[in-house]
Amino acid sequence: MRVLNIILNGKAVTAREGQTILELAQENGVFIPTLCHSPALEPAAMCRLCTVQVIEGGRAKFVTACNFPLRRDAEIRTDSPEVRHGRKLIIELLMARCPSSPELQRLAVEYEADLTRFSSLNDDCVVCGLCTRACEAVTGKTLSLAGRGTAIHVSTAFAKISDFCIGCGACVQICPVQKISMEDVDGERHILLHGKIVSQVKLPRCKSCGKYFGPVIDLEKVMDRMGEHLIPPPNADTCPECSRHNLAVKLGKRYFEQYGVFREEGQADAG
Amino acid sequence: MSGTACVCQEIECREIEIDYNQLDKIIRDDYGGNKETMIMMMQAIQRVYRFLPEAALKYLSQVIDVPLTKIYEVATFYASFSLEPKGKHILTICTGTACHLRGSGGMVRHIAERMGIEPGKTTQDLKLTLETVNCVGACAVAPVAVMDEKYYPKATIATLNDFMDRLDAE
Ligand code: SF4
Ligand code: FES
Ligand code: FES
Repeated sequence: MRVLNIILNGKAVTAREGQTILELAQENGVFIPTLCHSPALEPAAMCRLCTVQVIEGGRAKFVTACNFPLRRDAEIRTDSPEVRHGRKLIIELLMARCPSSPELQRLAVEYEADLTRFSSLNDDCVVCGLCTRACEAVTGKTLSLAGRGTAIHVSTAFAKISDFCIGCGACVQICPVQKISMEDVDGERHILLHGKIVSQVKLPRCKSCGKYFGPVIDLEKVMDRMGEHLIPPPNADTCPECSRHNLAVKLGKRYFEQYGVFREEGQADAG
Repeated sequence: MSGTACVCQEIECREIEIDYNQLDKIIRDDYGGNKETMIMMMQAIQRVYRFLPEAALKYLSQVIDVPLTKIYEVATFYASFSLEPKGKHILTICTGTACHLRGSGGMVRHIAERMGIEPGKTTQDLKLTLETVNCVGACAVAPVAVMDEKYYPKATIATLNDFMDRLDAE
């Protein structure tokens, strides 16, 4: 592996070839703001917030740190006046789309963004695409980006209630502006995008206690992916609490058979 | 065109009948059922139906094992794909800078008014879709109109009226 000599904000550091600027910055304790990045997902460079300046072979250019792989010795500036100027504009544009994001509000103050410059769209979605990438990663096949340019938005196929959602909630968890929510109602899990139901997934009922439980991940598919095709998934019809309880009782009984000291729940300590 | 797409003349009925054998032929025979050629398959499907019917895309998704949402993403990304039925005839008027200066805006308004449709839309009887485009690369002969893929340089309202008269007579 080739080692690259990088000047990061005036300091000489080394980088591995192919490493992204963001990774290098993080390793060296340099903070670059990001909105659409998750180390668990492929970068998509949607928000442009992480834009920095790179000088490679005498040429300076602006690139997105989250997906720019280092291939040559270079100088990187993450906080120069030029970078800050550009970032301020990006924040102003993002704020027009999504004024309710605390993260953006904080950045707007820090960069003294002019919030009257662009008329507010108030869509409250920054179109970072994190939910769509998370959904794809869990093989959810439910959310994707639709349209392009200013009309781009998160959607299910044909904007209809999806048949493929597994109700895992990955999208809910990853959304940086909390625009996706999840609720369990009458034995169904609903995923709501901007308050509108985009998927309804039946929750299984626990065989032991009768409660509905989730997530409703299709365990057969999980077994398939683990290479255990057609092997019935264990405890698929018992909720995690009951599973734990039943297992504890089973182990306890075995212990009793061996050592003769087992108490059922609620029994007084025999000393 | 094979008569599989039922483009009824009934205003209410826009049901499309899908010929799955024909779809299979496109997906499997013509393009080897390979997901790398998905966009070409979508173009071929659009050539048959003049738009991308939901049922056909669902079938495509199953055969090539690409999530329907991904196909939807592609279908909504490219302006050349349409999820709504298009007219039998497509009139595209260039509204790029040169054509605009030579009055293409007035031509668009004229057709929109005469046919009772907004640009980008299709008449109820599915006869005509009116589209605009930003420069077709023939600025020297502006304004340019494209009717069913044939280019008409220095188009005028009279040229367009000729088309429309022919359509009405159909
Ligand atoms: S809950 Fe549904 S929509 Fe959200 S990531 Fe999981 S599968 Fe996709
Ligand atoms: S974090 Fe790099 S573009 Fe969003
Ligand atoms: S502007 Fe119409 S052809 Fe260029």
